[in-house]
Amino acid sequence: MDDSMINNYEVTIPIERSIQAELLLLLGQQPSHGYELIQRLNEADFKSGEADAATVYRNLRRMDKDGLIKSHWEVGESGPGRRLYELTPQGEASLKVWAQYIAQQKVQLKNFLQEYLLFEASLSERENGVNLI
Amino acid sequence: MMDSKKTLRIIHAGALQRVVENCLEHFGKQNSGLNVELKGVGSREGAKRLLSGEKYDLIALADQALFSELLVPELVENYFVFATDQIVIAYDRFSKGNKEITQENWVDMLLKPQVSFARSDHHLDPGGYRTLMVWQLAEKFYDRPGLCSTMEASCIPYSKYPKSSDLASALFKGKVDYAFLYSSQAEQFGLQYINLPSKINLSNPAYASFYDQAAVSVESKTPGQNVIIHGKPIEFAIGIANSTKYPELAKAFIDLLTGLEGNLILEESGFIPC
Repeated sequence: MDDSMINNYEVTIPIERSIQAELLLLLGQQPSHGYELIQRLNEADFKSGEADAATVYRNLRRMDKDGLIKSHWEVGESGPGRRLYELTPQGEASLKVWAQYIAQQKVQLKNFLQEYLLFEASLSERENGVNLI
Repeated sequence: MMDSKKTLRIIHAGALQRVVENCLEHFGKQNSGLNVELKGVGSREGAKRLLSGEKYDLIALADQALFSELLVPELVENYFVFATDQIVIAYDRFSKGNKEITQENWVDMLLKPQVSFARSDHHLDPGGYRTLMVWQLAEKFYDRPGLCSTMEASCIPYSKYPKSSDLASALFKGKVDYAFLYSSQAEQFGLQYINLPSKINLSNPAYASFYDQAAVSVESKTPGQNVIIHGKPIEFAIGIANSTKYPELAKAFIDLLTGLEGNLILEESGFIPC
């Protein structure tokens, strides 16, 4: 996966779709039905906010349609049958791209914070009457 | 062309009427000549009709838990969750205080003496016991001890509008100011509504253990005896009766409901397909 592909991905993926990355990772770890995914997502350290049922099911249907995941009905042994989702090879590739994109974002955010800390230090020196020029 | 004597009998939650009818429009095109008989009921009542010996081919209920409590395995072997929803407070343009009510002040607004509100019968309709659960959870969520009892005392008697669909109709006709309904019903009737916090509206599986703290006593399958049921995220489910003469036809209907066409119909009717 080269940098141009990651940069292109960055341009085309709105931030709110990061829930798709989170769902792909959870499905990569273990095939699940929607009910269980919502519970796992809300327990995950990496969740980006409260995941409501409508958002999760809408994204699952979209990813199913796009071929990133596939689903089939699983008959429950002691409970109801539910649609079980699992990752496809295409979904696995998408998850890799997401991971690279997030790593790049992490570096950018770290650089931003370093620059900000320098800026903050300069402000503090100015307040203390130190002329930097 | 199908044998004209073939009749598929479907009993369904009143809240699912539009969904079932719209699915049948598509289904009829694929199965010309098929007769269909529909019976819309409160879901708890519907399950009990099967228990009393009434015959149906398909059973679509507003609470998946009713299958395991009342129907599995004697009357239904497998059942499938196909949609979810949430409890909301619905109102219309004539409802008193409709300009002021919010997600934050709904309790105080509904308890004003001049305001009327209603729920369905918890013995017949999941919408009824789910509303009681919402009130119990609101008591904890807002830290207002005694809130559930106060709401029960102030509510229009549940026997007046036993099914959620009766309630939606009463609200639409201006007979009550506010009603606790599924958001899908409010959408279908073109009613306005306020969403409740997800921690109390029974929509989110992430709060399943919090919802479980709510408990309501309802009539069990044994006449004269009650059973305690606990709060759960709202899930609608459908199953095929073991006694059906048309298992393939019934399965084809479920395939339609849970497929792309069905998902679209569910979404258009305000449900969340799952």
